[in-house]
Amino acid sequence: MTSPSPKGIVEARAAQAHPMIALPSHDELVEQLFIRDLKQFVMAELEPAQQRIAEKLEAAIQPQASNDPVGALRGQMEQVGSFGTWLSLKRESQRQLWYAVTDCVERQAAELQALGQIDNPKGSLTIDPDFQAPDYITMGDIHLMPGGNAYDDGTLLQGAVMDRGGAVYMLGRNGGMLNDLRGQTAMAHLLTIAPDIKPDRILDMGCGIGTSTVPAALCFPDAEVHGVDVGGSMLRYAHARAEHLGAAVHFSRQSAERTSFPDASFDVVYSCAMLHETSPAAMVNILAESRRLLRPGGVAIHLEVPLLHTFGDLWQELSAELEAQFNNEPNWRGALSVDYAQMMRAAGFGDVRAGYQATAFNARLAAKKFGDTSDGVFRSWFVTSGRV
Amino acid sequence: MTQVQGAAPVLPRTPNRLDPIPGRRSLDDQTLAMIVSLASEVTILRARLDAAERLLTAANIFAPDAVDNFTPDAAAQAARERQRQHSMAKIFRPLREAAAIDLATLSSPEKVQP
Repeated sequence: MTSPSPKGIVEARAAQAHPMIALPSHDELVEQLFIRDLKQFVMAELEPAQQRIAEKLEAAIQPQASNDPVGALRGQMEQVGSFGTWLSLKRESQRQLWYAVTDCVERQAAELQALGQIDNPKGSLTIDPDFQAPDYITMGDIHLMPGGNAYDDGTLLQGAVMDRGGAVYMLGRNGGMLNDLRGQTAMAHLLTIAPDIKPDRILDMGCGIGTSTVPAALCFPDAEVHGVDVGGSMLRYAHARAEHLGAAVHFSRQSAERTSFPDASFDVVYSCAMLHETSPAAMVNILAESRRLLRPGGVAIHLEVPLLHTFGDLWQELSAELEAQFNNEPNWRGALSVDYAQMMRAAGFGDVRAGYQATAFNARLAAKKFGDTSDGVFRSWFVTSGRV
Repeated sequence: MTQVQGAAPVLPRTPNRLDPIPGRRSLDDQTLAMIVSLASEVTILRARLDAAERLLTAANIFAPDAVDNFTPDAAAQAARERQRQHSMAKIFRPLREAAAIDLATLSSPEKVQP
């Protein structure tokens, strides 16, 4: 969590890195800080007790009694009253987050819509009105964001909800209001494995509101940078946000499983924490699509949250499984338990890597640290990469 | 699609897919959600009061310790007493009702042990 500024919290529009972020009133800011602190309380004060309960119950589970030890632990935990209360409060904190942020965005809807009108943009926005979002996007609203990622009411407001909500959700650990450390880390990985690369075209798959796309455009200002995702509102916001940040990005509404770009048309294709929001079948398609789009010598990078086996204990694994179910992460187990090196090779990549990249605040300036072990959640990100 | 032509846009508030939490009754979660909302409202109210006090102090309308040194007169004390009792009765009404039901059940003739 970022420590408060000695000058207090500055919430003037001019003081932000870009003006698109929804600015809270006095009461809205207190409400959002309350939610942030509630989430911290649930995580730091309530969850450790559940972990200790799990350790006691786990000790009583006979290893030979089940080939699903996480399921066995879950069954026992579900008999404990405080387990259900903890889980309910955790989910309620997430629902409060979206509710509060949506109020904040709606109040300034007209101002945000006006800020989204960009004259002479450096990038572009293409929204296919007939686009059908994949089932894994529509069957449950990811992260419980009401309306979901594919929401499109013709405005950019859902994107504004996602941006402000994301910053509160990440508790400031992912680059504060820019929320861009995953994109910086993906670019840091690229510069780790290809320090002299000068890509002409870069694609960010599952770009959302462009928090991971803008770092690519700023890291490689001579490159033509594209971002694709499933939500019209998100992409309208992404376009305006990127323009206000001075980044030239071409956003389009497409599925990462099959884009409209020609074969061999990119030098770098990457995604940031997207695969766990898809499906096992979609992951295969997305890796194949990233292979199809790359020119000879091109690099694919897919960044994810830490894999399940790195957690090392049943409670962490169960906790992640609960997050997946009750925070609507459709492919959590699928994305975090596969052998990425094998999948990348099967998709036709060579020079395949799978490991942990140290979190970068600035891709160019960051230490280029990549290896087998994670430094912990938010300190490292799992990355797999390969070349054509 | 929730936007209304000519009106302020209204975004959705309820997410699609909320799996039931094992062992939790829907009523438990409704109650918890209301408590969280009330805690949020109290926190906002307190921060707003704090802001008002600080602004009044900065404008030399209050001394910094004016609220802490405030001594209500008899009429004010009586009014505040009534406010506290009213709040108490309102907030803890369900507990009083539940206890009354338990007592009535135990007091009914068929529940009396021979």
